[in-house]
Amino acid sequence: MTDTAAVPRQAPAPSGVPVLELRDVDVSYGRVQALRGVSLTVGEGEIVALIGSNGAGKTTTLRTISGLVRPSKGEVLLRGQPIQGMGAEAIARLGVGHAPEGRRLFSRMTVRENLDMGAYSRKDRAGIRDDFERVFALFPRVKERSSQLAGSLSGGEQQMVAIGRALMARPTLLLLDEPSLGLAPIVVDSVFEVIREINQGGTTVLLIEQNALLALNTARRGYVLETGEVATQGPSQELLHSPDVQRAYLGM
Amino acid sequence: MPSLGLGRLLTRERVDPTARRPRGAGTSTFWIFSIGSATLLFMGWLLPWFVRPTSSGIGYSPMDVVSSAPTGIGTFLVYLLGIGMLVMVLSPFAELFYRARKRAVPERLDQVRVLIAVFGLVSTVVVFLLTRVIQEEQLFGPIDAFTITDSAVWLTMVGYILAATAYGLRGWVIRRPTTAFAALALPVGILLPLMFHQAPVFILWAAGSLGIYTLLALGLNVVVGFAGLLDLGYAAFFAIGAYTCGSLASPKHSIHLPLWVLIFLGAAVASMFGAVLGAPTLRLRGDYLAIVTLGFGEIIPDLATNNIGKLTGGPDGISSIDQPIVHLPFATINFGINKEWYYWSVLLVVIVVIVLLRNLEHSRVGRAWVALREDEVAAAATGINTTSTKLLAFAIGASVSGLAGAFYGSIVTIVSPDDFSFSVSVSILSIIVLGGIGNITGVIVGSFVLTFVIFWMLQYLNEWSATLGQTINVPSLGNIDYSQYTYMIYGVALILMMLLRPGGLIPSRARQIELTSGGEEESLAAVQGIA
Ligand SMILES: Nc1ncnc2c1ncn2[C@@H]1O[C@H](COP(=O)(O)OP(=O)(O)O)[C@@H](O)[C@H]1O
Ligand SMILES: [Mg+2]
Repeated sequence: MTDTAAVPRQAPAPSGVPVLELRDVDVSYGRVQALRGVSLTVGEGEIVALIGSNGAGKTTTLRTISGLVRPSKGEVLLRGQPIQGMGAEAIARLGVGHAPEGRRLFSRMTVRENLDMGAYSRKDRAGIRDDFERVFALFPRVKERSSQLAGSLSGGEQQMVAIGRALMARPTLLLLDEPSLGLAPIVVDSVFEVIREINQGGTTVLLIEQNALLALNTARRGYVLETGEVATQGPSQELLHSPDVQRAYLGM
Repeated sequence: MPSLGLGRLLTRERVDPTARRPRGAGTSTFWIFSIGSATLLFMGWLLPWFVRPTSSGIGYSPMDVVSSAPTGIGTFLVYLLGIGMLVMVLSPFAELFYRARKRAVPERLDQVRVLIAVFGLVSTVVVFLLTRVIQEEQLFGPIDAFTITDSAVWLTMVGYILAATAYGLRGWVIRRPTTAFAALALPVGILLPLMFHQAPVFILWAAGSLGIYTLLALGLNVVVGFAGLLDLGYAAFFAIGAYTCGSLASPKHSIHLPLWVLIFLGAAVASMFGAVLGAPTLRLRGDYLAIVTLGFGEIIPDLATNNIGKLTGGPDGISSIDQPIVHLPFATINFGINKEWYYWSVLLVVIVVIVLLRNLEHSRVGRAWVALREDEVAAAATGINTTSTKLLAFAIGASVSGLAGAFYGSIVTIVSPDDFSFSVSVSILSIIVLGGIGNITGVIVGSFVLTFVIFWMLQYLNEWSATLGQTINVPSLGNIDYSQYTYMIYGVALILMMLLRPGGLIPSRARQIELTSGGEEESLAAVQGIA
């Protein structure tokens, strides 16, 4: 058995090649087609927002990237390499961290064990220990709760653990699926503060949100997804001022 | 293929050094000691009832000494032992009493009990020495203690040692449950055949039913307990192991491989079948998985009945399976005659399997199983290969079963399709449910309790009942065939347990939490739209 985890993470991409690129991706669940010809790119070091209303296909897009579902057509390129046929575990090993919708913690494990599972594919003990410290530094509350059962935490704390668990794989691309879902506004602010901090530390972020204002204020660029298709895209400021986006997603 | 960390099986690795011991492990061990001591002393006291039917007439229990008129000092000693026995039998209730009132057990009580236990131990040794070594029979009245079976003496000694440890070293037992358990269970386990040399049936029970069922339960626990995959056809792998042994160590095909090769072969063949069965069921969960495995469990004995490929001997099965004859420099051991060697071999295998499975539970794979059980989608997203992780659970579970099967074939010397019916799968599942799904200690205790009741007590209950009927003049008590009530006992035991201790006798941490919170997450297949 080869030990993919011990191999150094993906070398920095040659400039110009995006960290992530979707080309004309179709995804179906049985007879329901969820994505139609979705194309998007995420550049090195960016935060990119993917917004859209409920059922637009945002979660499906993220699951396609992380290999939980497979596209029926199109390509998913990670630093230029096609990954669309690979299993979720192989993609995770390539440095894609996924904090799934609804957090999906291992609720009967402790917080610490959850974080440890995030580092499942890694063998570098020292590095894992460093990353524990990094996550604890980002989320001091998580450290306080580290021996508590994950299922017993509040929603905000659970979201922090979910992000922390994704970070434990030391991803170069972090996929966040509605981190604000079900959180009190003040908690949302602190979570997004940390997301910016993670990004400033060099991690590329693809952020999914229904809360368009929040997402576009955090991201540099954004895509608007409508019924499985990319309706609009552009720099966040442009989208924030586009009448269509304002009407549909910002309630103006 | 990703590394599954199998190489670390022997070097137990805890990735998280601060990870907690499962809650309550220490107190469980304390209870095992406390209840165990009560049971052993009680059994020692009424030994002929438990270890062999009274009618076979060798040896007596201390009870018989007491029921004769007291004459010598020895009889008096036996009386005192009886009082000690009563104290220990009542002790677990005292523990319950204080626990219900949320108070610590008074130190005084513990001191008294330790004193009684030590005194009892010394007296037992004295009785033993007087009767066996010095042969001072006159001290013991008409039925002298010389006729007290060795087994009663041993049971009493072990019972008092357990009691002294539980009440005298309560703190140690609770802090270091595994050490305490191993320190007492190992010597007792190894010496057991010597204690019961007057009751060879007992040794056969211990080696056959208890040992084999413990292995089976440990293996099924990997699939059901660790990986959370409900398998209702587990007896199929047991059959595969047994038939492997039968085919390759009998006149049937004129092949005579040694048992030591066959246990590995049985394990290997069964694990292959385990993976084969596992592959098509990977996307199934819960009910659907149970039904497919149930089908597999029915198919295998059917294939054997139909004498597929003229390999299995049809409904009659394979008979005259070899029993090992080992030539040592100083002696020759014939397992067919000296059955205690089967017991020791099975015991060794059980211990090795326990050590391996404990390490496995705390290895990377073990954690992956927990994650998979908790949330398949999140597990896949964190880089766990769900396919190989599940298949590994099936394969490992099946291999333990195949190993047990090979031993079984050799012990009973004849295997036939009927030995591997659905009821066997049900028994094994009942054992782990009763003992505590996912908890190795619980599973061992469960197999002890159920095999004792089903394979021992039920067999002799007819005779005990007949004796009782004669004594109290109700002869119809002798006409009840208790062995017909096996399933009723399963049923009653399981219902009682669901009501009183839904996590099993010794619940695993996950089960404990699950029972207080938590439902199931959406499956990976559902997320992928293929369920
Ligand atoms: N597991 C599934 N099985 C079948 N259909 C699904 C599944 N998941 C999502 N869908 C459908 O695909 C579409 C897109 O869903 P999703 O990606 O979850 O949207 P969003 O995250 O934007 O709310 C919806 O119509 C939804 O009903
Ligand atoms: Mg969604």
